Amino acid sequence: MKERVIPYKMLLEVVSNSYELVWRIVPEHEMQVLKMGLKNLEKCLIDNIQKAEEGLPIIGYHFACPAEFLHCFDCVPICIEGTSYLLAALLPNGSEKYYDLITHWGHPYHTCSSQKGVMGMVLDDLFKFDVITTPTAPCDNTYASYPFFKYKDIPLVITDMPFIHEEKSYEFYAEQIKIGLSEIGKIIGQEPDFDKMKKSLEIENQSLKLELELFELKKAIPCPLESMINPMSAAAAVFMAGRPEKVDFYENMLALAKKRYKKKESPIEEQIRSIWPYMTIFFDLALCEWLDREIKMSVLLDIFTYNLYNPVDTSSEDKMFNDMARKAMNFPMIKQSIEFYDDFIPEFINITKEFKADCGIFTSHLGCKQFGSIPQLLREALRDELGIPLLIIDIDVGDKRFASIKTVKDKIRMFTKTLL
Amino acid sequence: MSLQNDPFLNISNSINNQYIKEWQASKKKVIGYYCTYIPEELLYAANLLPFRIRATGHEKTELGDILMVRFTCSFVRASLDLALRGGFDFLDGYLICNSCDHTRRMFEIFNMKVFNREGFNKKVPRFYFSVPHIISEEGFSWYWQEIIELKEELETVYNVDITDNSLENSIKVHNENRKLLREIHRLRILENPKLSGAEALQISVANSSIPKDIINQELHRINYKLKESEGIKDLRKRIMLVGSIIDDLKFVNLIENSGALIVSDFLCFGTRNFLDDVQIGGNPLEQISKRVYHRLSCPRMMDDHERRLKFLKDEIKTAKIDGVILQRINNCDLHGCDNMLFEHELKELEIPVLNIDREYIQADTTRLQTRIEAFLEMIK
Ligand code: SF4
Ligand code: SF4
Repeated sequence: MKERVIPYKMLLEVVSNSYELVWRIVPEHEMQVLKMGLKNLEKCLIDNIQKAEEGLPIIGYHFACPAEFLHCFDCVPICIEGTSYLLAALLPNGSEKYYDLITHWGHPYHTCSSQKGVMGMVLDDLFKFDVITTPTAPCDNTYASYPFFKYKDIPLVITDMPFIHEEKSYEFYAEQIKIGLSEIGKIIGQEPDFDKMKKSLEIENQSLKLELELFELKKAIPCPLESMINPMSAAAAVFMAGRPEKVDFYENMLALAKKRYKKKESPIEEQIRSIWPYMTIFFDLALCEWLDREIKMSVLLDIFTYNLYNPVDTSSEDKMFNDMARKAMNFPMIKQSIEFYDDFIPEFINITKEFKADCGIFTSHLGCKQFGSIPQLLREALRDELGIPLLIIDIDVGDKRFASIKTVKDKIRMFTKTLL
Repeated sequence: MSLQNDPFLNISNSINNQYIKEWQASKKKVIGYYCTYIPEELLYAANLLPFRIRATGHEKTELGDILMVRFTCSFVRASLDLALRGGFDFLDGYLICNSCDHTRRMFEIFNMKVFNREGFNKKVPRFYFSVPHIISEEGFSWYWQEIIELKEELETVYNVDITDNSLENSIKVHNENRKLLREIHRLRILENPKLSGAEALQISVANSSIPKDIINQELHRINYKLKESEGIKDLRKRIMLVGSIIDDLKFVNLIENSGALIVSDFLCFGTRNFLDDVQIGGNPLEQISKRVYHRLSCPRMMDDHERRLKFLKDEIKTAKIDGVILQRINNCDLHGCDNMLFEHELKELEIPVLNIDREYIQADTTRLQTRIEAFLEMIK
């Protein structure tokens, strides 16, 4: 019974060690984002490991099915993509061993590493999932990779997400979430408790309010927060969803940002303001530190921090499900994947203007074919409309062997020379 | 071979053809589409000629490479490249659904760049609808509603009336077409197949590029010609070819010239298109939608791998297959992962299987040939 979430134990070990290390070595007022992020992550991991040891069902989920939806069950929700990438970020050799296991099993090298990691862990018998759930979004990798879990005899519950942003899509997807939760309930032998879920959604709403305030504060020159806020926000979205730790994290971040804003202070000697229309890099968290300190480039936002949705109305069950669908379909990456770029480009140009960015950096991730047309179209639009350059880096954001951190840094360094 | 030099099959070697030109000369429209989840019957009933987007014979991707990331499948980059060079300027409309990420993203570049090029002044309307990724009752209702809306849009944009009568007539023509293709397929899986895999592919590609009433006449003729022929008698390994899109002969020829005969397939231009018919009776648009939605799926349907595997297993028996070649175009995650599972499942059944990756524009011929020859030798 005890060995059902071994990768979470590995994660806990590295998170605790890293936390202790930065806490002891780094001066108190430095790296506060990282410290606060690790502290809250550690709490969530400890809680989940304990619940797994108590025998609660392990529910694997795609990040596009927000974890708070699963809080209607007494369970241990494990994010497939988040686990692959948090291990990629924190283990010395990342998730490479697991990527290789599944690649040797036949998974194509060009398919997303965010799923590869946990697929490899399943081959290595490290997770004992009771059920896995995923929407049919955002990308080919998702519908292509998840049937593997079914092949490995793990029940797979799929909710069908329409690929178009219309009112009818939200209604349809709301129904799909309901059906999906009821199917999961049958598999794990529990009735979904929507009151519990409501509490979780309310926590999320609280956190969203803080995130929105933070979003506004980051427009300040200089930016009051370290670039590390971006990968930490991704981790919070996945590992702390629907939990008080997320509120705690953002309350602290907001208080910190406000304090600095008032004093016109920044942890970065900001010379270049950058926006990342897509993700930052997961296989090397230290990149953010390097950008702040060496390049003096602030990362104002990435897809996880500019992509904010509306709160969920919890006043009735129908409204709740409808808004849950709306939220899921407007989640980072999902939103862009299921719409055309006719909307994305003007929206992004506006954000760039509002944040007074000097440049953009697009990490063109090997897995994300659903973004296949955007880097060049966006580059042209930013250049033509704002005179702002966009650096495009071909990369696997979770596997350093595709484009190493040295290559990434060299490219950024060269690029910044053209800016200063 | 009986079909060698049949002028009709040459249609499959080019993009535009004389039938399209004649169609447009009579003031009728041609609509490019992608891919098999499009209800062809609906377009035909609207007097629109459905032309399936492909890049047959086009050997360049440079222009496509500028606009799409290099992780995009080379078939899509080649199609886009061809489009940017004017290869699809003859289209009067463009219709896609969410088939795969690559083609969906190509669609927006068609809109922004191809049909927006300097000097290209034709207005080419675009149409899109969303197809569910799983097969369920709710999914069907969604799909059918999308098709109803598509019908209304087509009627408005092209100023046509799509009546039940025209839909019923279209169903008849398309059912007849599928029946003829099934008959040809039966000749393909005989002990002494009457046609090669290359010829079957040519028939399938031509079938997607000209009006169905015309091709039906040609298929009758071809069918007759094939029945009368001797069939292929030399002993060759009987192969089933599975995976990413193949719309030209090079790769198929590579396999067949290595000592194999492709007697069946599970390809976009292949068997999947003619297995099932539209039921007659009831609401014709609903029946059309039912066939398309419930047809034997491709890997974009996430919950249907078992049915695809069952088809493979049945076909391996029926067509007396000696070995299966699974192939994917690099970066095609859908077929890559479906093939990964097929490989394990077929090996568990002790069916010889080769799983390879390739590019749409064939470059590494020697490597592929070596692997294919070694595989064929290995088959007892
Ligand atoms: S959207 Fe991109 S990062 Fe996310 S699973 Fe798909 S390929 Fe991976
Ligand atoms: S070969 Fe694969 S990636 Fe290419 S168009 Fe077909 S399904 Fe899409």
